[in-house]
Amino acid sequence: AATAPGKKITARLKRTLPVRGPQAPTLSELMRWYCLNTNTHGCRRIVVSRGRLRRLLWILLTLSAVGLILWQCAELLMNYYSASVSVTVQFQKLPFPAVTICNINPYKYSAMKEYLSELDKETKKALETFYGFSEGKSKVRRSVDEWNSTGSDFFQQIPLLKVEDFSRTATDLHSGQKRKIEGSVFHKDSSIVNSGDSNDIIGFQLCDANNSSECALYTFSSGVNAIQEWYKLHYMNIMAQIPLETKEKLSYSADDLLLTCFFDGLSCDKRHFTRFHHPLHGNCYTFNSGENGTILSTSTGGSEYGLQVVLYIDEADYNPFLVTSTGAKIIVHDQNEYPFIEDIGTEIETAAATSIGMHFTRSRKLSKPYSDCTETGDDIPVENLYNKSYSLQICLHSCFQKAMVDSCGCAQYAQPLPAGAEYCNYKKNPNWMYCYYRLHEKFVKEQLGCQQICKDACSFKEWALTTSIAQWPSTVSEDWMLRVLSWDKGQKLNKKLNKTDLANLMVFYKDLNERFISENPANTLVILLSNFGGQLGLWMSCSVVCVIEIVEVFFIDSLSIVMRRQWQKAKKWWNDRKRAGPGKPPQARDVERQGHDNPVCSDEDLPTFNTALRLPLPQDSPLPRTPPPNYSTLRLETAFTEQLPDTLELGRH
Amino acid sequence: MNLKKYLVRALHRLQKGPGYTYKELLVWYCDNTNTHGPKRIIKEGPKKKLIWFFLTLLFASLVFWQWGILINTYLSYNVTSSLSIGFKTMKFPAVTVCNANPFKYSEVKHLLKELDRLIEAALERILQPTPGNVSENVSPPLDLQLWNQIPLVLIDEHNKDNPVILDIFETNQTAGGNETAVSNGTAGDNQNSEDNGTTTHSETTAWNQTTAPPAPANTTTEEKKYKLAVKLCSHQGSNNCTYRNFTSAAQAVTEWYILQSTSILSKVPLHERIRMGYQAEDMILACLYGAEPCNYKNFTQIYHPDHGNCYIFNWGMDEEALNSSNPGAEFGLKLILDISQQDYIPYLSSAAGARLMLHQQKSFPFLKDQGIYAMAGTETSIGVLVDELERMGYPYSDCTMNGSDVPVKNLYSQYNTSYSIQACLRSCFQNHMVEICGCGHYMFPLPKGVNYCNNEDNPGWAYCYSSLRSSIKQRQICIDSCKETCNDTQYKMTISMADWPSEASEDWIFHILSYERDMSTNVTLDRNGIIKLNIYFQEYNYRTISESAATTIVWLLSSLGGQFGFWMGGSVLCLIEFGEIIIDSLWITIINVISWCKGLKQKRARARYPDAPPTVSELVEAHTNLGFQHEAVGALPRDEALPPEPGTPPPNYDSLRVQPLDVLSPDSDVE
Repeated sequence: AATAPGKKITARLKRTLPVRGPQAPTLSELMRWYCLNTNTHGCRRIVVSRGRLRRLLWILLTLSAVGLILWQCAELLMNYYSASVSVTVQFQKLPFPAVTICNINPYKYSAMKEYLSELDKETKKALETFYGFSEGKSKVRRSVDEWNSTGSDFFQQIPLLKVEDFSRTATDLHSGQKRKIEGSVFHKDSSIVNSGDSNDIIGFQLCDANNSSECALYTFSSGVNAIQEWYKLHYMNIMAQIPLETKEKLSYSADDLLLTCFFDGLSCDKRHFTRFHHPLHGNCYTFNSGENGTILSTSTGGSEYGLQVVLYIDEADYNPFLVTSTGAKIIVHDQNEYPFIEDIGTEIETAAATSIGMHFTRSRKLSKPYSDCTETGDDIPVENLYNKSYSLQICLHSCFQKAMVDSCGCAQYAQPLPAGAEYCNYKKNPNWMYCYYRLHEKFVKEQLGCQQICKDACSFKEWALTTSIAQWPSTVSEDWMLRVLSWDKGQKLNKKLNKTDLANLMVFYKDLNERFISENPANTLVILLSNFGGQLGLWMSCSVVCVIEIVEVFFIDSLSIVMRRQWQKAKKWWNDRKRAGPGKPPQARDVERQGHDNPVCSDEDLPTFNTALRLPLPQDSPLPRTPPPNYSTLRLETAFTEQLPDTLELGRH
Repeated sequence: MNLKKYLVRALHRLQKGPGYTYKELLVWYCDNTNTHGPKRIIKEGPKKKLIWFFLTLLFASLVFWQWGILINTYLSYNVTSSLSIGFKTMKFPAVTVCNANPFKYSEVKHLLKELDRLIEAALERILQPTPGNVSENVSPPLDLQLWNQIPLVLIDEHNKDNPVILDIFETNQTAGGNETAVSNGTAGDNQNSEDNGTTTHSETTAWNQTTAPPAPANTTTEEKKYKLAVKLCSHQGSNNCTYRNFTSAAQAVTEWYILQSTSILSKVPLHERIRMGYQAEDMILACLYGAEPCNYKNFTQIYHPDHGNCYIFNWGMDEEALNSSNPGAEFGLKLILDISQQDYIPYLSSAAGARLMLHQQKSFPFLKDQGIYAMAGTETSIGVLVDELERMGYPYSDCTMNGSDVPVKNLYSQYNTSYSIQACLRSCFQNHMVEICGCGHYMFPLPKGVNYCNNEDNPGWAYCYSSLRSSIKQRQICIDSCKETCNDTQYKMTISMADWPSEASEDWIFHILSYERDMSTNVTLDRNGIIKLNIYFQEYNYRTISESAATTIVWLLSSLGGQFGFWMGGSVLCLIEFGEIIIDSLWITIINVISWCKGLKQKRARARYPDAPPTVSELVEAHTNLGFQHEAVGALPRDEALPPEPGTPPPNYDSLRVQPLDVLSPDSDVE
């Protein structure tokens, strides 16, 4: 015994600090043990039940309970990212929105004369040739006699055509030539209702300047649309060449547009308006734009306490071809928002008081992973060309402008310029119109991918407007009103105003209730866990402890049982080979061992028993005093000859 | 003695209980509790014991932490909203129709005659290019007393720094300096004047403080040189004056006229004012509700200070409110109104049309806030969607059910109407007005025992009113003290208009309507006065957002249970078990303390009588304790340990066999 004191010590250490294996020798034992001792409810029943039917029933029930738990928990997990909506109403002092007001006509026609006279001449000529319309009898705005000059640049660049659909021939109405239509025909009006009497169809042809066979013909069912569209194309060309400062001067000044202003019971004047140049609407004026850092707010609702302005709409100075309606356009928006006045503006009638009652709603969506919206727009790969906060509209416009610059080499007039680009015009980009129409068509058909890239913003403010109109000024007050307003307009001007040149606008809060619609996460982790707990508890009275148990038993223990068995098999195989290698092992022993060396009955039986019993190991009397059964000791000796030198030694001594 | 007996009995009772020492108790608890963790602590080997001990602690703390979160969530009283949209039979809204003009000019002319002459003369002078040299008037002399109460002045701004105030009817010019602060003075000047009470509530200065840069320079050349202002003095002849500036003369004139006319009209008794307004039979020419004819008698008359006589259809005050069970214009209300524009007061209201408003039954119509216009000579169709918001009251949101908990006396309750935020704000203003100016404003109902303001009795009322009206503080007080109602109903209107009557039908329509109203064959109506209204429910006529509590007590309990169950498999019973154990341990403590005390006593006694025999109970206790303790060591793994008792022969092999196995595996690993 003195030969190996170290080994003895390690053996003792292992005995006192037992690293015990699984609770059962075999998997079935383990299962049985688990079922009897687990905290979950079904398993015990399986083991305890008598009778095959009953046991089967309990197995089924337990399994279905497990299935239910898994299903329900999966449902809970899948619905984790859902949002609940809450609506709060708060009565408070409300920030007044920015109100942008534009004249429908962008530039004073009288001032634009030098730029547009050529174009207008051409247009009139076209009208006369196509429709036999001559301006002689109608309102004469400028001298008619000048306009049989030579230049027909505009028609050469974009010819107006009359199309005969069946023969696919077109007559150039200006030159009278007939030509065959090549390329594709696009109808700008949605459906070809008029295709029966197709000789009424009028349109214009856009060709690729580099490759003249690439042409697209745009047709319109009505000449009104065709002429306007055609005029607009040329107009944009001309305007693109005029610098911004000049354009601002050509348009209306604040004094021109605003006659009176009244806000929250107090007078205001042009200082409270910020100029904002819109490419299609000229100079617009934004009330309460917040540019100087202060945003006005209202603490009283009602029409007296909102914004009241009288606008001067100089109808005589309107461009006859560009705009065909009279009045002003307004848009109510947030200070950080870009006013897309051409898209969502409200039109104001002249000779009337338009009262616009507002109701304020603020909405907020949850961003990812709840919904696909963007908080700031930073995560969207489109550069924001407007220096305002992100909105879907801004993204779409910026995206289109970028595509335009990329494929046509110049920027479209109605949208802001990206860095390093310039607006399209004939001289530099003779091809741009064809390119633009092609691109715009693609954009509308969602082929540019803009609609996919751009996401809506997560939070937005909305002012719901209730618009109503009253006659203004009333017949009895008209007289003094117009007199006083003329005085207001400027003491020098002795001309009395006409009531169709005036529009009265009232924008006010109907109530000071702010409605705030917000999404909140319906689930939090705490609630999810509670729900899990509820499910586990309901079906099986299970908890995390049970889950740990399951992991312990089904993975660690089972695995170690399997491993142990495999290890023993391997060992056995190794021993066999070794013994076969040296020469003649005793045959009988081999047979005996094979019979006995079943780990089920020999090895693993023991630790389980012991651990189960938790017997204090007999420490003081380690060796049997009673004569041990001979086979056992024999078998042990033979089985672990190499591995257990200390026991062997003990035996020999 | 009794106590001792009781204690002994308790001791015996305890003998049946879990144990005599803390350790026993704890072990017993762990073994028998229904919570999942503790069982494992005592059933496994020392390493696992440790792991399970910490796991159990961790889980317990997790449970408490999450409980805290859940209770917090519950106490924050969140709500969830549910939305429903559809069509159902609903009460048709009350429809208030008024004329934009409050009184027939022909009826009030005798009251306003002086005023009109004054303003005409004033305009005559103002509109002349040079207001300085006025030719002597040819018209009959004006009653300047009315004018002098609240005069209009012209401010000459040729010299920016020193504006000159020109009185319109007196040729003497007063320099801006010698009056108190003139509005266009510097901001600092104004602040001073505000401090010492000679308040200048001129909006230009107020604006100057907020808007930093003036407009771009290119417009300065066209600067307007004259401005109109209303001079308001705290009482006549005093120097405590303020000039209300207007950038537009039109507005100045309107404001001035309103101030003057309210003063005049406030002296007229109510029944007289009602008589001067538009009568129902003159105004409401035709009425059709669904297929049923109705007439002006179906309307309730109400006197509205802004708009004179207003008529409310379906107010629900006397009879049941009408229901509408079909969408579409055919089943709604159709009205033909006459506003007789020729009879408007020229300076009072410049917009012409009918004012109408949809509101709930039994609520007061606040036309200035929620009303819309209908234009003369048109047919206005209004599709209605009822947008309701039903909220839960306290503690979920800060709203009021019926206004009884709002600290503002509701003056509109004299109309027998329900509480609304607008009523509260106006009552609040009127209460302030009465408090500060000593009289009530004409536009709002009067509290008891107070009169409306007028120039004779309260010469400074206009000054007082306009300073009160522009006071931000006063508004904030009212906003803070008023609460919105929990049930908020809005009528969303889709308004469309068409010309009416058409040129072809004009003649016969005017003829019939004139005949019906006036019994005359002459046409007394024209395009400028006639209005057609269609009010009906849309295809979807309601959108209701209703709130419900997101966290109820049931939710709280199930979440708490879920958490406890999830981490530890516990329930309320487990908590009770735990409580029981605590009581038990308290008992043990008590017993220990008692025995310790006894021991001390006996020690003392022994010190006196060293060989005093121990008491019986002491002996018994000592004995049982010892025995129990001894057993407890072995009883740890009680369940499985019991059947094979150690010491019997068979386990001997086991112990023999165990040894090699234990040693075996690591050794073989080495090999």
